Amino acid sequence: MKKYAFYLILLLLAVAFPFYIDGYLLHVFLTIFIFMTMALSWDMMLRTGQLSFANAGFFGMGGYVSMVTVSSLEIDPLLSLIFAVVFAAAVAFILGLPVLKLRGIYFAIVTLALAHVFEVIAMNLEITGGSTGMVLPEAIFGGDMQLLYWLVLGMALLTIGISEFFARSRMHYAMHSIRNDELTAQASGINVSRTLIIVFVTSSALQGLAGAIYVQQYAFVLPESTFSLDYLLLPIAMALVGGTLSTAGPVVGAIFLGLISEYLRLIMPYGHLLIYGLVIAVIILFMPGGIYKPVRNIILNRILNLGGAS
Amino acid sequence: MDSVLKAEKITKEFGGLTAVDNITFSADKGEILGIIGPNGAGKTTVINVISGILPLTGGNITLKERQISDMPPHDRSRLGISRTFQTVRPLEKFTAMENIMVGALFGRELTKNKARERAESICDFLNLDRTDAHVDNLTVLELKKLELGRAMASEPEILFLDEVMAGLNSSETNEMIELIRKIKDRGVAVCVVEHVMKVVSELTDRVIVLDRGEIIARGRYEEVSKKEEVIAAYLGEEEENAED
Repeated sequence: MKKYAFYLILLLLAVAFPFYIDGYLLHVFLTIFIFMTMALSWDMMLRTGQLSFANAGFFGMGGYVSMVTVSSLEIDPLLSLIFAVVFAAAVAFILGLPVLKLRGIYFAIVTLALAHVFEVIAMNLEITGGSTGMVLPEAIFGGDMQLLYWLVLGMALLTIGISEFFARSRMHYAMHSIRNDELTAQASGINVSRTLIIVFVTSSALQGLAGAIYVQQYAFVLPESTFSLDYLLLPIAMALVGGTLSTAGPVVGAIFLGLISEYLRLIMPYGHLLIYGLVIAVIILFMPGGIYKPVRNIILNRILNLGGAS
Repeated sequence: MDSVLKAEKITKEFGGLTAVDNITFSADKGEILGIIGPNGAGKTTVINVISGILPLTGGNITLKERQISDMPPHDRSRLGISRTFQTVRPLEKFTAMENIMVGALFGRELTKNKARERAESICDFLNLDRTDAHVDNLTVLELKKLELGRAMASEPEILFLDEVMAGLNSSETNEMIELIRKIKDRGVAVCVVEHVMKVVSELTDRVIVLDRGEIIARGRYEEVSKKEEVIAAYLGEEEENAED
């Protein structure tokens, strides 16, 4: 019970954040929740053993679909998020059918190439504004940071919910069996291709949503920045630092690295990325399982006095 | 006898090599069929094409009169074809219990609770005590039992056992023989690929002998083992080995 009370307090704190912190810190957490969604959705795919590099591609695609639908259909930005999610899911389904037949390094490299293809398409279409991108007259919710924060928090909670559903249902056994040994999985009656496509479509849809919300925050897209490698590499670093193959790991990793990077930026305007990279490298070298478990044990044992954590 | 599985003129080619060449056999409910033959005879390939891990080049497979030749492996598993692997392939992320649960969860589409109950009763049946142990910590015998348990969990019509005795000592082998007999008595057709001839003679009701992808003899082990072509196939293997 104590554990659930702890989570409930965290949740209430997160929901009430806009009432007691200033705009700057709110913006920091907003970004953290967007990256948390990216990290967790990437981890879902990893649980099936597939190393996907398509996240930045679906992130950018979601952003572009959202911008294009708002500007050409003149719909509310909030409604455009649905288009972004559906579009990303549909593309993931269609591309997933052939691409998910690939394994290991071949799957990884093809997903990386796909992400680049999306960028090239965005850069060359007229409707997406070509290489100069697009600008909308107004950000989502008319620029209201509080509403935007709750929207982003909702997305992060949805992602956590889906991740926990995957972790507690039959999907858990299917996903991890496929990663462990695909032949055994098949021989045990697991439909490998269906499992992979469900996870790929789900994670791509979440990445599309994250991109759409991110872009609507600034009401602006540009091919090289919307499809930036940051949206690929940072979420992966967050998942690795927090601990992969779980919900808690990427969540903790996103908060930890998000706060560290912001703090470093404040105390050293130049060269902060150097330290940031060093932190990531050191953690991955010396705590290959991520920081979540050690941190959890400290919280459970020392602070909550629950004891008996593994 | 009730034929559970019929393989008719099945063939499997790898490029120019014919690993299984136009063979026909059936397996019956409540009997133990042995598939024997020298190394490279195509025994494991037969299991692979029947369980669907490899596609057939030609021929027909029916399970209880139902055509399954073109089905993916997971569908065949759900319909009642189960197998173990020659080198055990446990799911390392999971405990022994969870490994067996996976077979029940997907092979029989049970809920998590039902699958756990089923896995527990299988562990009892197999005398597998350390159910919460991680796979890394299991002994060879326990791993073999785990592999067997996962295959049993889907309540198969036919169970293929690919060299389950390999690596076991003689008392462990005897325990395994008893287990396999009990599985047969539950009305499952059991099909064993086996190298240990003592096991084959004790366990099987009848055998088919494969050599270079073809069936060269079939019948009771005692009769078949005296046939000249069978002896020649095994002797040939020894000669080839001697040259190495």
